Amino acid sequence: MLPSRLSDRIRTIAGSNTLRLFVICCLSVVIQSCASYGQHAVTMRDGLLTGRPDLSLAIAEKKDLEQEEVISSLDKGMLRRMTNDYQGSNQILEVAKQEIEKLYGISITENLASVTVNDTLRGYEGDRYEQLLLHAYMAMNYIQLGQLDSARVEMLQANVKMMEWGEEPEEDAFVRYLEGIIYEALGEYDSALISYRKAYTVYKEKGGAQYPVTPMALKKDLLRLLAWQGLWNEYKTYNKEFSLTDFQPYKSSNKFGEVVIILNNGLAPIRSENALPIFSSEVQRNLRVAFPVYREPKKSLYLPRVTVNQQPYLLETVEDIDALARYSLEQAMAGIMARATARAVVKYNSQHTANENSSIAGLLMTVTNLITERADTRSWTTLPQEIQLQRIVLPVGEHQIRIQMTNAAGQVVDVMEETVVVKPKKSSFVIKHWNTPVPKQVKAGSQTDKQTDKITAGK
Amino acid sequence: MKSGIFNSAHNQAMVRRLGVLLPAIAMSFMLAACNPTVTRVESDAVTDLSGNWNDTDSRLVAQEMIQDVLSRSWLTKFNRTNGKAPTVIVGTVRNLSHEHINTRTFIADMERELINSGEVEFVASATDRDEVRGEVKDQDLHASEETRKAMGQEVGADFMLQGSINSIVDAVSGEQARFYQIDLTLIELGTNRKVWVGQKKIKKTVEKGGFRL
Repeated sequence: MLPSRLSDRIRTIAGSNTLRLFVICCLSVVIQSCASYGQHAVTMRDGLLTGRPDLSLAIAEKKDLEQEEVISSLDKGMLRRMTNDYQGSNQILEVAKQEIEKLYGISITENLASVTVNDTLRGYEGDRYEQLLLHAYMAMNYIQLGQLDSARVEMLQANVKMMEWGEEPEEDAFVRYLEGIIYEALGEYDSALISYRKAYTVYKEKGGAQYPVTPMALKKDLLRLLAWQGLWNEYKTYNKEFSLTDFQPYKSSNKFGEVVIILNNGLAPIRSENALPIFSSEVQRNLRVAFPVYREPKKSLYLPRVTVNQQPYLLETVEDIDALARYSLEQAMAGIMARATARAVVKYNSQHTANENSSIAGLLMTVTNLITERADTRSWTTLPQEIQLQRIVLPVGEHQIRIQMTNAAGQVVDVMEETVVVKPKKSSFVIKHWNTPVPKQVKAGSQTDKQTDKITAGK
Repeated sequence: MKSGIFNSAHNQAMVRRLGVLLPAIAMSFMLAACNPTVTRVESDAVTDLSGNWNDTDSRLVAQEMIQDVLSRSWLTKFNRTNGKAPTVIVGTVRNLSHEHINTRTFIADMERELINSGEVEFVASATDRDEVRGEVKDQDLHASEETRKAMGQEVGADFMLQGSINSIVDAVSGEQARFYQIDLTLIELGTNRKVWVGQKKIKKTVEKGGFRL
């Protein structure tokens, strides 16, 4: 009798031990997911805001060494680009692309987790604009590696993606525009024209909202290609529509080539968490739910001014990622709130049943539910705030491109320079990233010390 | 009373079983993640994983092209008029498809088959030549008189092989029809005559699952 009771006791302790272990395991998972992506992004982008993308890259590279998370692969890819490692950037972006492909379809377990624990357990495949920009940045990497054919491949992949989403014009104006520029650089004028037309359709329909207004450069490109192809009827229609009656398309000549300047200006907004009590009619009480929100308004950008051979040019905004990101969250909000409310009810019920069994279990459940209620703040935050572009026709030969960044008062805060070789009938590309004015007078040495401190603290 | 005891014992047993079962399940997941399973397959086995261009496509193209290029009249015509095997150089095969395709694989396959058939000779391509020339230049300085190779003794090619890969993709949510067309052309150097055009078409449909675990 006694030995059996003793063994029972031991078994109970063993049982509770495994239970305790289980709880500890759960908590460790919870604590891990506590540091939200948004917070990580703020630390990571510190380097970018002090003109040291290498430091940001170091932080990004430390995260997710298995390369399973799409979001960290995207960040790594962008930061490697910014540190001029185009090959490495494409390598990791290709990983991201394949991981996104794996996340295709509705996941049963992840959806279950999102209504019981939180939304961050859902696989992050990126919003549509992010998935398309992934191809655009890979294409830019290939352009900068001098592999135009491979850049073309990326554009075709983006094309397949847009086709798959079908029906309503879910196309990305800038991706279409870039596609046209790449086709034109390869001498495929008919394909380029189609891309320009599609880009214009998107700008026309959504310009002023998610997209900027139709850039003048695109209007001129569209007219120019129509002229080159001899489609004069269409030319006249567009000419009237754009009211560019005195526009003269330049003629393709062996004495000229063009420079395409693309500036990735600023940084995309970061999502932060908001928590609100929401009344649930199911359990007749207020329940706390967390959801992502863009807390800060759109930042004003530094204005770029381009000079080539003493001639000034303006860059036009071709993609407003800030607007796209906000619009995308707005669209997703209904689903996010529905899941959050369902989750709150599930959590409330679990607390309730645990409380009925024992008060400690109830308390534990309440704490767990409170800690696990996190908003999904993931978004590709190393993207620029805006993509700006200009195309300049120049005589064949070497040219100095000078991009001056000016603040609201019109003062020049930073200058970027690049020498390009313009080849007859060919496009040369100047693609830059710019985030913030870096104080020039600070010596590199002292700055480095400060930065390393920051990284260790950030760990 | 008795049933109550039975119940609590039963519960304990349940907890015990669960305590053993849960880590076991967790362990099995971990083990599955740790050890990749490797199965060796024949190099000509069809392994379609994602629907993208793969080794099977490359092999199919090589097979078709080799068979075609060796059975056509350009070869016998050239033999008759020149009394020697034609010399071919591989130019560029442009990838105009929607995938990053390595064209070197089936070109290398073709090259091997054609050289081994003894009917066609190949000369090194532009990039390979540079390395070889460097070596010959080096021999000029360092190799002994009798083993030294002279410059200016290269064989000029009679034909150049060029080509392109194109693709057409049609897609609606979750479903794709992919069509690849591979065109290879043999162009006579000097006259720019096309003596042979090889073509291979591959079509597949890819369906992506609507659900995953």
